[in-house]
Amino acid sequence: MALPQRRTDIGPPHYRQFMPPVIDKNYGKWKYHEVLTPGTMVHVAESGDKLWTVRVASPRILSTATIREICDVAEKFCGGHLRFTTRNNVEFLVSDEKNLEPIKKDLAARGFKMGGIGYGITNVVHTQGWVHCHSAATDASGIVKSMMDELFEYFESKRLPNKLRLAVACCVNMCGAVHCSDIAIVAVHTKVPVVDDEKFKNMCELPTVIGSCPTRAISPDPAKKSVKINPDKCMYCGNCFTVCPPISIKNPERDGVAIVVGGKINSLRSNPKFSKLVIPYISNEPPRWPKVVAAVKHIVEVYASHARKHERLGEWIERIGWERFFALTGIEFTFQSIDDFTFMRDTMRTASTFKW
Amino acid sequence: METAELQDKIFAFCEAAKGKKKLKEKDIIKGVSAEQNVPPDDVKKAMRAMIDVGRLMYSYGGGASSVEIPSEEYLREKGLIK
Amino acid sequence: MKKYNTPLIDQLEKGPWPSFVTEMKKAGKNNEMANDAVGHLEKCYTTKMGYWKHGGIVGVLGYGGGIIGRYSELGEEFPGVAHFHTVRLNQPSGFFYTSKALREICDIWDKYGSGLTNMHGSTGDIVLLGTKTDALETIFAEYSSRGWDLGGSGSDLRTPSCCVGPGRCEWSNYDTLDLVYNLTQEFQDELHRPMFSYKFKIKAAGCACDCVASIARSDFSIIGTWKGDILIDQKEVQNYAKKGMNVMSEIVSMCPTQCMSYDGKELKIDNAECSRCMHCISKMTKALKPSGERGATICMGSKAPIVVGSLLSWVIIPFIKLEPPYTELKELLRKIWDWWDDNGKPRERIGEVIEVKGMRSFLEAIGVPPLPQQIKEPRKDPFMFYTEADIAAYKAKEAEEKKTGKYRF
Repeated sequence: MALPQRRTDIGPPHYRQFMPPVIDKNYGKWKYHEVLTPGTMVHVAESGDKLWTVRVASPRILSTATIREICDVAEKFCGGHLRFTTRNNVEFLVSDEKNLEPIKKDLAARGFKMGGIGYGITNVVHTQGWVHCHSAATDASGIVKSMMDELFEYFESKRLPNKLRLAVACCVNMCGAVHCSDIAIVAVHTKVPVVDDEKFKNMCELPTVIGSCPTRAISPDPAKKSVKINPDKCMYCGNCFTVCPPISIKNPERDGVAIVVGGKINSLRSNPKFSKLVIPYISNEPPRWPKVVAAVKHIVEVYASHARKHERLGEWIERIGWERFFALTGIEFTFQSIDDFTFMRDTMRTASTFKW
Repeated sequence: METAELQDKIFAFCEAAKGKKKLKEKDIIKGVSAEQNVPPDDVKKAMRAMIDVGRLMYSYGGGASSVEIPSEEYLREKGLIK
Repeated sequence: MKKYNTPLIDQLEKGPWPSFVTEMKKAGKNNEMANDAVGHLEKCYTTKMGYWKHGGIVGVLGYGGGIIGRYSELGEEFPGVAHFHTVRLNQPSGFFYTSKALREICDIWDKYGSGLTNMHGSTGDIVLLGTKTDALETIFAEYSSRGWDLGGSGSDLRTPSCCVGPGRCEWSNYDTLDLVYNLTQEFQDELHRPMFSYKFKIKAAGCACDCVASIARSDFSIIGTWKGDILIDQKEVQNYAKKGMNVMSEIVSMCPTQCMSYDGKELKIDNAECSRCMHCISKMTKALKPSGERGATICMGSKAPIVVGSLLSWVIIPFIKLEPPYTELKELLRKIWDWWDDNGKPRERIGEVIEVKGMRSFLEAIGVPPLPQQIKEPRKDPFMFYTEADIAAYKAKEAEEKKTGKYRF
């Protein structure tokens, strides 16, 4: 069969054609919304029209078979209309209240998990990991799955003082807004990379490689027409590997994950913040990373039992102080939590007012 | 300058950098424009026309994009040579 | 088809959260590539390392973005993933779909790819995971002839994305969906043909809730805001109180500017002091809503840690109106890219270039004056540049003061 004629520079299809009639009619004229359950909410328009949303979890990696099943449900109850959220949940857009209970029943029967709305834990923003990335120091999807199995009640039913956003990055490149999450897991390398001098000659540009190092640990090695890496300066970021594949950094026994906490992206009450390092290293333990899961669950539980209503994790910590956070969680404070990269000036304490 | 002649100059510019420096679009536009005293927009148009027919190609490596002379493998895959 | 024994990843099929391994196996039932991806992943779990090579040089003719080359080091052991390239399709604004559109995407993907997807990738694209080099042109012809174009990758404008906006949210201060569609169409060339020093991300959020995380992960963050008063429906305030909300502790005392008061009957807001953080509005959405002029704050520079630490976006333009055809915003973007072109080194994000060259150089180039809204606090060191023109202006001001006898600081 002949190929259809390709077209270039057409951009995405216009979004308006995908919207259900109730949105088309009330576009930009929504009045308020109410969260009905952790998996459902209703938006009410100025006209009085209502739109119900049923949110379900997704593993982000979806087979076409599952997408078709999602389509089946949308066709049965939503006139075929649905959307995805920025955190990879699926949202079924129900225009007729009569369909609300039936769609929930149908989704439950098919094994879809409803939840993720409001003050709990919603889907996890994460990266490709071993499934599909060259620079992965862990498998993001595996950690997400293990973690969410354990924290599932916070998705489906149990509530927290505010929402808690989790993220997993499989290396410090951090595709996605991982660095501003309530709790994020960041995979790290911990060993100085090894340079394959023979391949370096043919594959890498010397100035680019030297310039790629944020700590100036790389210098030329003229005799070998390659580079050397100063182990006293290298912080294992892997940027040299990104620009020059013959500099190998992965190491199965030394790659692991760090845990950072207290970030947020919205401006509610307090400004957006970065997540900060509290646990510097946990070994990779596939397939279920038990220590990582336990650490995250522990932090969630300490937050849940201490924070005030509407306080995000980072806001709670700022109120009580980081020294109190380490005391309450029992997390050991280590040298890695003291910045010796670029932010020391901003992060050291400059007053004698702290808590014991 | 005729487009075909300009394209030859662009090709020569890319050939000279081959294996030495990865060229961004802008490097070619600025470089050839200065070298040949041709407006940058003309260079851009001529270069784009070359990319569209596979005389040049976009490449990616070391975390950034560049413009290169295509390999035979690429041309074969695109059906531009047998 | 080869049957792989996968005891490690099988453990990720247990538990209540939906399993990506189950998805991979589902796709692998009828698809050699997905089946080998399952075996390949089990191998990673066994050895605790990945086997993907750096992105290769693949793409569709004429474009430099949208396809990410991916090859396995273990191509002989797992031939189905020897080539396993990613195709990025530009998503519709707000991730709205009909089942018909999704089925069309699936049908093509099943025919030429692994049947595996990400809905969606971090930048916002529909990510189609895993196909071979010789299928790329066909895939592009199939999708583009049906109205789907590729997204960005490499040193180009990455696919812009946005929150749900006016499609289903009462808080959106401008039409995020239309703006993103409009910008994407306007900058098709920048999106498909890598012409920048590095990637450039645009994200559009309708309000300070920032559901698209623009402040943290976009070089150009557009965050909706307003300039008028917050309108109060006192009856609805009472309804919230009746339903158990402690208006004092949950709303008034959590207001960051302390511009609210409540005497048990009436909620008052000193609007001039409000910083529009969205806390009160988001908690009492039936009772409170913004009014007056709508638009957005433009912030710039955010990125992940590579190379010299992560950045949050900086306020550049405190307020801009956003109405079609968005001419001012488009001109601004072009000015920004010109400056970046002239000043950026390869792989330098715009935020990093601004740090190196100085905010003044950047603001002057794009024609934005210095404003106190741009900073958290003024500089604390006395090392600063004075141009001859600066000093001449200060001297002229003083001469004027001598004439009028009045100081102007």
